[in-house]
Amino acid sequence: MSGLSTARRDLISSVTVSKKVYDVITISRPQNEHIELHRKRHGYRLDHHERKRKKESREAHERSHKARKMIGLKAKLYHKQRHAEKIQMKKTIKMHEQRKTKQKDDDKTPEGAVPAYLLDREGQSRAKVLSNMIKQKRKEKAGKWEVPLPKVRAQGETEVLKVIRTGKRQKKAWKRMVTKVCFVGDGFTRKPPKYERFIRPMGLRFKKAHVTHPELKATFCLPILGVKKNPSSPLYTTLGVITKGTVIEVNVSELGLVTQGGKVIWGKYAQVTNNPENDGCINAVLLIISLATMSATSWFGLRFLAFISAMAHLTTCVFSKGRKGTK
Amino acid sequence: MVVPTAKEFIDVTLSKTQRKTPTVIHKHYQIHRIRHFYMRKVKFTQQNYHDRLTQILTDFPKLDDIHPFYADLMNVLYDKDHYKLALGQINIARNLIDNVAKDYVRLMKYGDSMYRCKQLKRAALGRMCTILKRQKSSLEYLEQVRQHLSRLPSIDPNTRTLLLCGYPNVGKSSFINKVTRADVDVQPYAFTTKSLFVGHMDYRYLRWQVVDTPGILDHPLEERNTIEMQAITALAHLRAAVLYVMDPSEQCGHTLQEQLELFNNIRPLFANKPLIVVANKCDVKKISELSEENQKIFADLSTEEIPVIETSTLTEEGVIKVKTEVRSDSRRARSDAPACDRLLAQRVNTKIKGKKVHDVLNRLHLAMPSKRDEKERPPFIPEGALNRRKAMEVDTPKRKLERDLEMELGDDYVLDLQKYWDLMNEDEKNDKIPEVWEGHNVADYIDPDIMRKLEELEKEEELKERAGEYESDEESEDEEMQEIRSLAKQIREKKQLLVLESKEKDVHGPRMPRTATKVEKKKLEKEMSNLGLDMNDKNDSHYALQARRSRSVTRKRKREASAPPTSKTRSQSASRPPRDQSGLRDVKMVKKAKKMMKNSQRDMNRQARKGESDRHVFDLKPKHLLSGKR
Repeated sequence: MSGLSTARRDLISSVTVSKKVYDVITISRPQNEHIELHRKRHGYRLDHHERKRKKESREAHERSHKARKMIGLKAKLYHKQRHAEKIQMKKTIKMHEQRKTKQKDDDKTPEGAVPAYLLDREGQSRAKVLSNMIKQKRKEKAGKWEVPLPKVRAQGETEVLKVIRTGKRQKKAWKRMVTKVCFVGDGFTRKPPKYERFIRPMGLRFKKAHVTHPELKATFCLPILGVKKNPSSPLYTTLGVITKGTVIEVNVSELGLVTQGGKVIWGKYAQVTNNPENDGCINAVLLIISLATMSATSWFGLRFLAFISAMAHLTTCVFSKGRKGTK
Repeated sequence: MVVPTAKEFIDVTLSKTQRKTPTVIHKHYQIHRIRHFYMRKVKFTQQNYHDRLTQILTDFPKLDDIHPFYADLMNVLYDKDHYKLALGQINIARNLIDNVAKDYVRLMKYGDSMYRCKQLKRAALGRMCTILKRQKSSLEYLEQVRQHLSRLPSIDPNTRTLLLCGYPNVGKSSFINKVTRADVDVQPYAFTTKSLFVGHMDYRYLRWQVVDTPGILDHPLEERNTIEMQAITALAHLRAAVLYVMDPSEQCGHTLQEQLELFNNIRPLFANKPLIVVANKCDVKKISELSEENQKIFADLSTEEIPVIETSTLTEEGVIKVKTEVRSDSRRARSDAPACDRLLAQRVNTKIKGKKVHDVLNRLHLAMPSKRDEKERPPFIPEGALNRRKAMEVDTPKRKLERDLEMELGDDYVLDLQKYWDLMNEDEKNDKIPEVWEGHNVADYIDPDIMRKLEELEKEEELKERAGEYESDEESEDEEMQEIRSLAKQIREKKQLLVLESKEKDVHGPRMPRTATKVEKKKLEKEMSNLGLDMNDKNDSHYALQARRSRSVTRKRKREASAPPTSKTRSQSASRPPRDQSGLRDVKMVKKAKKMMKNSQRDMNRQARKGESDRHVFDLKPKHLLSGKR
C-alpha cells in the first residue's frame, strides 16, 4: 500500500468522495446573524424611518376599517378579543391615573371601629351568629343538608331509559337501555343477554370523575367507588346511573387526607355538577363540612360509616328523609 | 415549516374545521345523519392537529440520527434535555388529542338528540384545544430553535476542512476573509465572532471548507460559556487540519506565554489532526524581532514537527504559503509542508487504511506500456509550447493583438477578419464574393469538398464506362417477344395514320364519340371481318341475342308517353331493358307494379308534396281550426 505511486494517490484522493455531498455553492450563504450584520454595515434605507413612521400611523385606520368591514363568525371572534383587549387597556389607564389622584383608603379604619354616633349600637354581630344557628336547626329538622346542588331537575324514565324491541316480530318491549352515563363496579358481569332487562352500554360506562376540592380550588381525576344516591329515582341508584346532582363516592387516597386520629381517609362523597352525557366527562365537587357551617348541633346529623381497612371520616348527605329530591 | 404559536394553531385549526366541514344541520334530520355530521367535525379537527404535530415532530432532527458534530453543537446551543423534553411534550399532546377524539366519537354513537351530539362535539373540540393551550411554551421554544437552526452554517463534517482557533482578536476572521469569500465581521473588540462561520476555497481543483471559530479563553472546560463551547465542539468533532493562530505582537491583549498555555491546554483536541501554527500580524512584529524566550517558543514548536508560518492578513504575505502552490516530490516528508497538503495526505492515508478503498483500487488500473524494443521514446513537447513557456519566463513581447490595433487606429478601426483566411491564392483574400448568380443563391451551392467529389465522380464514370455498363443488352429477348414488338410497332403506326386521316376528314366539327351512338350490326360485322376476325357464328353472338330480346319487350308497350325519348334509346344499347320493365315477367306483373307506383304517389300528390322528403307546411295556423273563442 505504501508503494503506491503519486499518480495513483492523487486519483484516490479525488475519486473517493464522501457519501453525503452537501450542496456547496460558490456564493456564501447567509450565516448566523446576517440581518444584523447587514444593518451594521450598510445602515437603513434612506426612507426607512419615514416609511416606518407612516406605517405605524396607518395602523389605527386599518384596524378600524377591518373591524367595521368584518362579518360573520370571524367578526364575532375578533370583536370578543378586541373587547377583552380594550378592557385591559382601560384598567391600565385607570391604574396610571390612580397614581396621580388621591383616594380614600379603606384599610386604615380598623375593624370594630365605629363612628361616634353609633357607639351605643352593639351586639349586631352576635345577632347574626344566632340567627345562623337557628337556620341550621331548622334545616336539620327538615332533613335538608348542605350540598352544592340542592335542587335538580328530575329525569323521567323516558329520558333515561330507552325501549329496546326484541322478538321475532319486534313486538316485545320489556328491555331497556340506559342512555345516560353510568357506573358499574369492578367485578361486574352482565346477566345472560336473554334475561337482562337493563342494558348499560360499555361506551357509557365511566370509571373516573374530575373532582374539585371546593376550598383548595384544585381538581383531581379520581376513580369512582360507587353511586350513593341518584336524586331522581332509587332505581337509578341501583343501576348506577350518573346524572346531574348524583352523589357518588370517590377514592381520595391521592389527596392524602388524614383524620385527627391519624387514619388515612380514602373514600369521600362528591356531587356531580354537570350533565355527563353531554360533556363526556363527570365533573363533581367534593362534599366537605367547612368550619364556618359546622356547629355543635350539627354533629348529630352525621353518620359515621366504618370501612374495611380504616375508620374513614365520611360525610353522608341526604336531601330529604323521604325520597324525591326535587321540591 | 413554521412552528405556530398555541393561539394561532388553535385559531387556524378551528376555523379550518368550520370552513371545510358541512355547516348546515337540522333537528329533524335522521339521527344517524346528525351523528355523522358531528363526528366528522371531531375527526377532522383531530386529523388536523395530528398532522401538524406529526409534521413538527418529523421535521425537527433527532439528535441521535444526525452527525455527532451537529448533535453536540445543538446540545451546546439549545440544551439537549430541553429540546428532547419539548419534542416529547408535543408527542404526548398528539397522543392525548387522538385519545380524546376516539373517546368522544365513541360517545357520540349514543347521542340521541341533536343537542346532545352538539354538546359532545363542543366538549371534544374544547378538550383538544385545551391540550394544545398547555403546550404554549414548548411551541415557542421550538419556533426559536427552528429559526436559529435555519441560520446555522452548513458545515460538511466529512469533507476537507481547515479549522481556525486561537485567542480572541488574533486574526482568525481576517484570515478567513482573505482566503474565502465569507464576509465575517472583523472588529477590534474581543468576541466579535460569536458562532461558527464557514467559507469555501479552491486548492488543487478541490473544494475546501474553512471554518472560523469564536476565540477561546484559557479556562477549564466546565467554566466555558456557550460561545467558546461551539469552538470546542468544532475542534472535537471535525476531522480537519487545525490552524492555531497566534499573535506575537500581543495586540490581542494576551501575552505570548498565555497563548502558549492555551495551546498546551487544548493540545489533546489536536490529536490525529495536522497542526499548523500561524504567527499572524507579522507586519507589526516578526518572529525574529521577538525576545529570546519568545523566539524559543517558536523554535520548540518547529522541533516538534509543527510547522510555524508567519502571515499577515493585512499585507497578505504568507497567506498563500499556508496552502502552498509549489509542488515538490517529497512534500510529505518535509516538516514545514503546509496545511492543505498535509491534510490531503492524511486523508488519503486514512482512506487507504480503510476498507472502502479496495473497491476503488480494484477498479483503478494505471496502464504502463511495456517496452517492445530498446528504442528511446521521450515525451514530445512541441516547440510552440516550449517557446511559450520560455516566453512566460522571459516575458517576451507578444504578437500584436487586435486590441492594440484598435487602440492605435482609434475611430478608424474596422474589424477585418478576412485577412486571417487561409486560401490557396493569397491575392484573393480581399475579393468580394457574389451572393446571387443567375437567379440562384451562391451559398446553396457552396461545398468545400466540391472539387474532390467531382474528381471522384469522374473516376467512377470512367470505370463504369470501361466496364461496359452503359451498353444496352439486345440478346436477352427471344423471337416471340421480337415478333410482338414488331406487331405493336405496326399497330402504333397504323393508329397514328388513322388519326391523321380522320383529322383531315373532319369537316363536321365536333362529333359524338363512336360509343355514344348505336353501332349497327352490319357495320360491326364488316369491320371485324376486315380486321380478320372469324365471323362464321354471328347468329350466336351476344349482340344478336340481345337484339332479339330487346325487340320483344319494346313491342308490348302501348303508351307513347312512357316511352323513353329517342336520345335516350340511342344512348342506351339495345341490350339493356328500361327500368320499369326489368324484372317483370308478364303483363299482370307490369300492371301491378304500375298500380303500386300510383298508390304510393297518390297521398303525396294530394298534399301537393314534391316528394317523400317534402315536409313543407303551407299553412301553419289554419284559420278554420284556430278561429273562434277558446
